[in-house]
Amino acid sequence: MIKMLNSQRSLSELPKMSAASQVERAVLEEEFNWLLREEVHAVLKQLQDVLKEASRRFSIPSPGLESQLKQENFILGSSSMDQVKGVLTLQGEALTQADINLKVAKSSQTMHFQFREDKQWKLQQIQDARNHVNQALQLLSSHDESYHFKTGTEVNKLMDAVMLQLTRARNRLTTPASLTLPELATSGLMKMFSPPMPGDVMVNFYINLSKLCLMVYQLHVLPPNTTKNFKHAGSSVLHNPGAMFELNNNRFEVSHVHKVECVVPWLNDTLVFLTISLQLCQQLKDKISVFSSFWSYRPF
Amino acid sequence: MSGNSLVLPIVLWGRTAPTHCISTLLVMDDFSTIITGCHDGQICLWDMTSDLEICPRAMLFGHTASITCLSKASACSDKQYIVSASESGEMCLWDVNDGRCIEFTKLACTHTGIQFYQFTIGTQREGRLLSNGLYPEILVMDATSLEVLYSLVSKISPDWISSMSIIRSHRTQEDTVVAMSVTGILKVWIITAEVSRMQDLDPVFEEESKPVYCQGCQSISFCTFTQRSLLVICSKYWRVFDAADYSLLCSVPSDNDQSWTGGEFIAADKVIIWTEDGCSYVYKLPPSEHFRSHVGKTKESLVPPLIYKIAERSDKELLICPPVTRFFFGRREPFHKLLIQGDSAGQLSLWSITDSTPQQPLSVSSTISLQEAFDKLTPVSAGIIDQLSVLPSKEEPIKVTASVYIPSQGRLVCGREDGSIILVPATQTAIVQLLQGEHMLRRGWPPHRTLRGHRNKVTCVLYPYQISPRYDQRSLVSGGVDFSVIVWDIFTGEMKHIFCVHGGEITQLIVPPENCSTRVQHCVCSVASDHSVGLLSLRERKCIMLASRHLFPIHVVKWRPADDYLVVGCSDGSVYVWQMDTDALKQFSLFQGNLPKYSHNALVVQAMKTNLTDPDMHVLFFDVEAVIIQLLTEEAQRPNPTLVSPETLQKSQAGADKGGSFLANKIFKQVKETMKETIKEHLLDEDEEEEEEMRRREEKSKSLSLLEYNLTMDTAKLFMSCLHAWGLNEQLDNICLERLGMLRPHCPISFGLISRGGHMSLMLPTFKESLLRQLSLATGLKLTLSDIVGKGTYGVSRAVTTQHLLSVISLANTLMGMTNATFVGEHMKKAPARPPRPGGTPESPRRMQATPPQPSNPALQAQIKQGNYKRRGHSFHVGVTLAAMHCVMLPDLLGLDKFRPPLCLEVRFSQALLLAELRRIGVSGRKDTIDMWASYLPQYVDTVSSRKCFASVVLGSEITNGRNLCHNDLEDTNQLKEHNWLGQITLTVTSAGCNVACR
Repeated sequence: MIKMLNSQRSLSELPKMSAASQVERAVLEEEFNWLLREEVHAVLKQLQDVLKEASRRFSIPSPGLESQLKQENFILGSSSMDQVKGVLTLQGEALTQADINLKVAKSSQTMHFQFREDKQWKLQQIQDARNHVNQALQLLSSHDESYHFKTGTEVNKLMDAVMLQLTRARNRLTTPASLTLPELATSGLMKMFSPPMPGDVMVNFYINLSKLCLMVYQLHVLPPNTTKNFKHAGSSVLHNPGAMFELNNNRFEVSHVHKVECVVPWLNDTLVFLTISLQLCQQLKDKISVFSSFWSYRPF
Repeated sequence: MSGNSLVLPIVLWGRTAPTHCISTLLVMDDFSTIITGCHDGQICLWDMTSDLEICPRAMLFGHTASITCLSKASACSDKQYIVSASESGEMCLWDVNDGRCIEFTKLACTHTGIQFYQFTIGTQREGRLLSNGLYPEILVMDATSLEVLYSLVSKISPDWISSMSIIRSHRTQEDTVVAMSVTGILKVWIITAEVSRMQDLDPVFEEESKPVYCQGCQSISFCTFTQRSLLVICSKYWRVFDAADYSLLCSVPSDNDQSWTGGEFIAADKVIIWTEDGCSYVYKLPPSEHFRSHVGKTKESLVPPLIYKIAERSDKELLICPPVTRFFFGRREPFHKLLIQGDSAGQLSLWSITDSTPQQPLSVSSTISLQEAFDKLTPVSAGIIDQLSVLPSKEEPIKVTASVYIPSQGRLVCGREDGSIILVPATQTAIVQLLQGEHMLRRGWPPHRTLRGHRNKVTCVLYPYQISPRYDQRSLVSGGVDFSVIVWDIFTGEMKHIFCVHGGEITQLIVPPENCSTRVQHCVCSVASDHSVGLLSLRERKCIMLASRHLFPIHVVKWRPADDYLVVGCSDGSVYVWQMDTDALKQFSLFQGNLPKYSHNALVVQAMKTNLTDPDMHVLFFDVEAVIIQLLTEEAQRPNPTLVSPETLQKSQAGADKGGSFLANKIFKQVKETMKETIKEHLLDEDEEEEEEMRRREEKSKSLSLLEYNLTMDTAKLFMSCLHAWGLNEQLDNICLERLGMLRPHCPISFGLISRGGHMSLMLPTFKESLLRQLSLATGLKLTLSDIVGKGTYGVSRAVTTQHLLSVISLANTLMGMTNATFVGEHMKKAPARPPRPGGTPESPRRMQATPPQPSNPALQAQIKQGNYKRRGHSFHVGVTLAAMHCVMLPDLLGLDKFRPPLCLEVRFSQALLLAELRRIGVSGRKDTIDMWASYLPQYVDTVSSRKCFASVVLGSEITNGRNLCHNDLEDTNQLKEHNWLGQITLTVTSAGCNVACR
């Protein structure tokens, strides 16, 4: 409103402005009003639909009814070349069952691990992404058709807030947390298995884009008087063979790294929805900016 | 701008208040300060009087993203600390009194709520900050170091915590943390003594976890009056739970189109609830016993009645995002119960809630916005080139929308909203805005140049030569909202070329790095709002590459010169790689760019805006150390050195060596280096073609006569005039005005304070209003703004005062040693018709100064010398008396009791330290010190005692100068420590002593 008022005032104040540009101004003003009244709501509606669809993919547990969430099984590393094979059960945002087969290079025997009955591994990335999408939806729901947008800035502000949530949701899925090896070793993940994971094997689960990933590190202890140049590995998503770390006065080196992954179809959908929503938001902002640069024009 | 060297900011805010779209707010426990955080990352401090008048005082800079929460961070009232957190995970601990940043940290996660709590461990109480946010834990941090000590973790369905509340239960005598997760599960943690002592990061699991089916929880809070109920606000309903067993007592739904955002208990049986659009309602809860007897029965009969409504703001139509509402109540007299609302227009509204029930909606008690406070000011807050921007027909000056400062020429380039660009000497325009003097009577002063070419707002200006010497010294590049980029000749004012390649407003102009291909090296890179990037060759005068069709706005442009790649980062996180110049000669030159001549400049004018839509405000950064180095350099270059020649410097250096001071040494070295460079430059200049030289000189003199005035002296003049404590000693003021040529400020100046990690606090121009009120109240007199100019400078905060004092003394002492120890200007004299100044006789000293010393006239020379001495004496007085005034007399002069106790303590403390140090260096050390500085002593003082005092002042200030160097240079930490404190104390104590001697 304030911008429109300004523009009206400047209209009356400026007799020297040519008639043509006055007409042009009036037309633009009308178009801008249409944008605020109709177009913005149409876009918001579309946005809401897309995000609801995305949010539906994350099945939200209602308190007390977690067990009723549907379970999905994913098979990681199906080719015969893989030394690691895993069957993971994803229920909502947590891995409830895991079945890992590991072929160690030196011996031909296969090691087999399972999650303990009472344990499950929460994928914080999924929970964060879900919460961000819901926050974006909440922002949109308070501006439904009955809401009257007064200025372009108001729309921009709303879009900025929504886009912040959507970008964060997408970033959570695309960029897994990077951990240092000691962090990984002391995380609860190592204590979740039955039979217990041997001291020279470490595992990690994470989401990368739409893929559920399983990392297995095989370690060997460095002798205390080793001639090797000991250097602490920093934090990373994926540590390469040769990375070293110290834990409980023992020095370890990563000898083998195995990574297996499997696409989670609904995560892929979600990412597509997020990208579409972000583009919708930006397009709306661009439309507004066409007019706002016009309103800020003050002839001198 | 490092926080270690002594850099003083002075702000020219202009008439438009910065955008302050309030995102969160806080009231300090004593109800004297309101703190607001905004979406652009600034924090504003507002002073509040006991009768609820509010006045903005200062703005704190340092966060890079929207402020998400604010909390107090100290329990005692003598140190008022707050902690702020931003959307990007930054946390910062500030001192509310002077806006200093005490500690800062950055975590990968965003905090949305922080609460301060003192846990009781046995007899001890430890200040902790509890934070929740976009992560499933509650982090417990140390309130002074901001270190995470341990975290509170959920075992059962962990999820983000949307709100939490901490209470010390009377029943169990335990500190209890109650939190609501986003999925509506209530969690309870009990902090026992052993938990609090934990140092490692072992998680603490919850005591209780109860689903209470509250989706979309906004806030939870305990009834502090009875501790028997818990209020939970969700967007669609609010509920009251029993605080002991968390059973539901009542639930009230919202009207269809409103959503609740918060609420608090205002009495044992009353709650206030507010909505997203800023309406607030007060409900009465049934009496406690009756309430509880109904547990488990139908809830419809239990809807508490609405008692009254809080009147809404009438103009909230114009808001661009929901306002923030908070309730605070005072635990001490006068027991205020305040509902405070901050909105997107930077407006604060206050409602004082009474215990009685009003018939009408409660009307607002007090309201003010940042812009209103700015508008009320007389004189209005100055902008950097306001005098050149006020059009005769219009009230408001034309806004400056983009600016760049060229330190080597001392010129400021200001692009304005009407499309014109103004080139103006920065110090002179700042003098016009800040200080009174002859210039007030001139129109169009200072001499400036206007470049016209853009048809609308100028959005960015760039002076490429400043960044790399490979560019032409004359080229200035500007971009505007008219989609064009224009190249100007800065010396002739000629428009060289217009690039029209973009389809949107130009948003950024960037200089490519050194090792690009030769073709790209002569380009500037322009970024436009149509999401395109262009490479515009200044030499070929054409666009050599245009990268467009990015889907999102361009956030950042990076270079990979070795591969000839341009890397464009967009706001959604996508990255595009472009080949810059396909037929480029792949050149991998290892050309090292010339370092700028002065590693730092005495004065830097930095344009700042808190929001993209705001006009520029300008901050003048004075680097005291650099001013001194420049002054000494120029002094040493003078053809007829009289007092401080390189020889005397040499002498002092020798003395310094003897005294073991590496500081004088260092300054001297720097001076020598800069001298050498200048000489080299002169030689280079001579190498250039004569013709070119002639033409340039012609151009320069024709263009602006900008280079004829003495930039360094002007800077020092501006600086000293701003810092002097005017109005505290009339005699001294007159000397400053008449002999030293200093000018009196129009009104108290908005200073700033740079603290750790580049965090900065800038005083808003409105600070003087509350200061005026405070002083008028204290003295019982009706004061005007000009009465409090000095008090405005020195009565604000101790950290600021210390910096100012150090600067004034060190600068005064430097000036004292100079031949031309006065600022009585020469460029002003040249103007044809100078109006006579009313009152005062500034003529005689000026004449003395203006006439070059002629050996043939011994009488005149004696007079000059005397004048010099006098002047030197006066600058001594300025420095000494200023120091004395501050350290000893300031509390009396200001008539403010609150400054007295800490200052007296400081003086006493430093006296003791100095005595100890003097004892340590022994008789010979003391003698050496005085001998070393003997040559600098004014000879009209002959009593031994005061001579000693002056010697120590000189010593003190020299060390003060050095102090700053020390900070920068950590090669000798022992010396650092020694000089650091020695400098300060010598200064304080001797000035106190000198004051006595001078009297």
